[in-house]
Amino acid sequence: MTLLTVIGQATPSPVPAPGAGLFTSPFLLSLLIWVPAAVAVALAFIPNPRGRYDTLIKQIAFFTNLGTLFVFFIGYSQFENFLPTMQYEEKVPWLPAIGVTYHLGIDGAGLVMLMLSGLAGVAAVLASLNVRERVRAYFALLLLAQSSVNGAIASRDMFMLVLFWGASIVPIALLVIGWGGPRRISAAWRLVGYWGFGTAALAVGALALYTAAGGTSFDMDHLFKATISPRVQLGISMAMIVAAATRLPLFPLHGWAREVLAESPPGVVVIVATAASRLGAFLILRTIIGAEPVAAHLLSPLLAALAVLTVGYAGLAALRTLDIRHAGAYLAMVPGGITVMGMAAVSPLGIAGSVLGLFAGGLAAALIAGACVTLSDRAQTRSMALLGGLAPRMPNLGWLLVIAALALLGVPILATFAVNVMTFFGAFKTQPLGAFALAASLAVCAVALAVILGRVLFGAPNADAPGVSDVSLGETWYLGLLAGALLWVGLFPGGPKIPGTEVPLFDPGLINQMSAGISDIASPYVLPTPAAPATQ
Amino acid sequence: MLATAVVVMLLGRFAVLPSAWRRFLPLAAAAIVLTALGIELWAGAALTTFFGGAIVQDRFALFAKAAALAIAAVALASADWAAEDSPYLGLAMPLLAAFGVMVAASAADLVGLWAGLELAAAAAVVMVALRRPDLGLRLLVVGGVATSLVLIGLAFLYASTGNADLVAIRDVLASRAPTVALAVPMLLLLGGLAVRAGIAPFHVGPLPISLGASPLGAGLVIGLVTVAAATVAIKIVAAVAPLPAVFAPYAVAVAAVAMVGGGAAALAVRSPRPRMAYLAVAQLGWVAAGLSTHFRAGFAASLFLLAAFGIAATCGPALLGRAEAGETAIAGLGAVRPVRAAGLALAFLSLAGAPPLAGFFGELAVAAALAQSGNFVLLGLGLLGSVLSVAAVVGTLRVLYIQSPVDEARRPAAAALPAVTVLSTAGAVVFCALVAGYGLLGNPILGLADQGAEALGLR
Repeated sequence: MTLLTVIGQATPSPVPAPGAGLFTSPFLLSLLIWVPAAVAVALAFIPNPRGRYDTLIKQIAFFTNLGTLFVFFIGYSQFENFLPTMQYEEKVPWLPAIGVTYHLGIDGAGLVMLMLSGLAGVAAVLASLNVRERVRAYFALLLLAQSSVNGAIASRDMFMLVLFWGASIVPIALLVIGWGGPRRISAAWRLVGYWGFGTAALAVGALALYTAAGGTSFDMDHLFKATISPRVQLGISMAMIVAAATRLPLFPLHGWAREVLAESPPGVVVIVATAASRLGAFLILRTIIGAEPVAAHLLSPLLAALAVLTVGYAGLAALRTLDIRHAGAYLAMVPGGITVMGMAAVSPLGIAGSVLGLFAGGLAAALIAGACVTLSDRAQTRSMALLGGLAPRMPNLGWLLVIAALALLGVPILATFAVNVMTFFGAFKTQPLGAFALAASLAVCAVALAVILGRVLFGAPNADAPGVSDVSLGETWYLGLLAGALLWVGLFPGGPKIPGTEVPLFDPGLINQMSAGISDIASPYVLPTPAAPATQ
Repeated sequence: MLATAVVVMLLGRFAVLPSAWRRFLPLAAAAIVLTALGIELWAGAALTTFFGGAIVQDRFALFAKAAALAIAAVALASADWAAEDSPYLGLAMPLLAAFGVMVAASAADLVGLWAGLELAAAAAVVMVALRRPDLGLRLLVVGGVATSLVLIGLAFLYASTGNADLVAIRDVLASRAPTVALAVPMLLLLGGLAVRAGIAPFHVGPLPISLGASPLGAGLVIGLVTVAAATVAIKIVAAVAPLPAVFAPYAVAVAAVAMVGGGAAALAVRSPRPRMAYLAVAQLGWVAAGLSTHFRAGFAASLFLLAAFGIAATCGPALLGRAEAGETAIAGLGAVRPVRAAGLALAFLSLAGAPPLAGFFGELAVAAALAQSGNFVLLGLGLLGSVLSVAAVVGTLRVLYIQSPVDEARRPAAAALPAVTVLSTAGAVVFCALVAGYGLLGNPILGLADQGAEALGLR
């Protein structure tokens, strides 16, 4: 339990980070949402005759993402990890007639998601440096997608959540349809169909919650405190699970994942596999685990079953396919299943694991899917029948692929290790059968990864295969950024400290920051401590 | 409005205007409509009556008239006048149609409602007949059927209640029980209005006709005339609101068919103008769904959505321009006409109910009212229709922004690019600002819509 004590608990007392209080903004979250959107609109109207300003447009997109990440890191360092309440809140009445408020705010889980989104934004631009066609439209859509994802993360009003959740569909579908591979049309329709269905389910759930809470406000503070009958809680939670399952994705609503993650360009893969899809798990955390404990207890076996089926299906499908991109897409479903199992555990440790899983799982999913897409680009084929013995010829990509595989399995020194430890320790207590089945499914994934890596990286080279080249600088940076973040949090979950002290060097530690609010979410699931026997 | 329309028609008839001045006519007309809008917003807040109580100026009238004026002004400004058949009639007819909406919105009795509706419809017939006399005739026949149904329904309603005044009708019905004798005329009346509005499954008449009209003519048929019919429907339904059993089932049925059918049909067609027309049908289904709730919040949400619908459905075809060559006409428009393409994209997205545009806010307001009334089946069908609509729009956006434009040397006349003028660009910019900023201005607009619903006697 020593390890769990280290990684599962926040710093017991608030330790001020250097620079705390230097910068405050009442519009911090709005900046993260609207700056990318405003730049996207501006980019869309920049005259770009014959692609003359393509490089400038890429630079604008990159520095916009870097700027918002910088703003986010300011917020990260100022975040009060000992407060259980929402922080950086912005609350303005919007449509009082139907109870809509422009309400933003984040707790530890939201902070983790925003960090994931910020890193994904920078990585997505780096992964997109090879885009040559319609550069202006591509980066405008990418920024719009990122803006809507940030909005969905920070929303504290159900109306706004539906708005931002739905707003990400069109830009991402257009990115797939415009810059994707040969089956891009099918991929885009699947994305619109599944995500649209999920948005409809979310809207139904949100409106049912709104009605059950009196029909006066969409504000989550109001909705989640309303007294709602268990039957209605169950119905609303089912709608939310459907919405979440289409996004994360969870079996059997995963139909878009293979096509979209396999056909999209790498930049879009990064956006989709990270924050855009982790929104599904975030929704379960917010609306079921954090708001409806009765329904959460009742539905936890269902969540566990979905998690097991997702991971098991992903492993088997990856084992069976001969397309490296499809394999990457299937394997990218694995972290989502583990995250959901953490929530199904309905225990403080499991929930903490799932919150960290939002971040680490998103990075791992993007890393494996992105590495497979990049590998197929560099090897000029997607067929694993032709790919073989690539490790000596593309050493950088080989290493990154190995790190991705290790991250999926949750080996020590990577952030996913902490996730898996917390999830399994949490789940074995409350969902022993599910946890065991998940471990078995993860073993299938390990076999699939071993087979794929053995064949592609270390197998015998195929003489008929086209020529290969190692990753470019931009590709190294984007994959390296994802892998580096996994390593950083894996090595320093509590942040680096000044030696011999508890004072953080410059990073308060993701584990510390994410724990803000978790105690509040997990409080209904704390098992009563058995009374100590009376001493005579 | 009426005077401006008449003056413009006379100018055209007697050709007294130097040709150099003609190009300023749309600007002048749009400026006059904007001035009228300003006066309406400034002076229209005072509650009053005219013509012995036949015309009332209440919050409902203020909302609907302001919306009609704004729609007309933006449509006139953003239209591609090179694609219109007659600049004079092309300017006068939208003004007349908007005037028709205003008359219907202010009408205190059944006669005024009918007069306003027919005025708007007549303007659409003229616009259609300018290009295709055969279609104009067809619209006249379809309109005749609609008018007969509406008149028979109004006559029965008058006979049943003994009053033509809307407030008096509501007072009489407040003490009565629903009867078949009242339900049948309501079926005829609402059926006639549905034919006039072109809402599914009654769209088989007006919708194909709109496809052969000039851009602004199509905008009138799909947009302003539909707004006029919906305005009349809202006032009638509000008057019979004490007896929801005599109208709510019809509204539910029509809404369900329109929302799902419109979305599915939009997905099935590829040509931009039919797709826009079917998207409009689907969104009109949401307006009907709001009326089916038969309480104030639902009516307010319908009104809120109707304004968003009106601006996108009227200005969308105008922004589309000729576009008679199907998808080819708009291929790569984003690269060659960025402002116009942005307006077009926003019109499509708003009609589909995609966030965060005007249509989304309206549809979600209606959805909230549906949830409050417990009609989750209709809500589910509406959301399904919206998903289908958004899927359809993604296809159009792909053509607009991702396909390459047609080689100019090989561009067919039916796919001619819209002419770029300062006015049309400004009109497109204002349109984009309105559709994108509708949500930001949602509080005052929805507040006024709510006051409008209250003015109709709804609680």
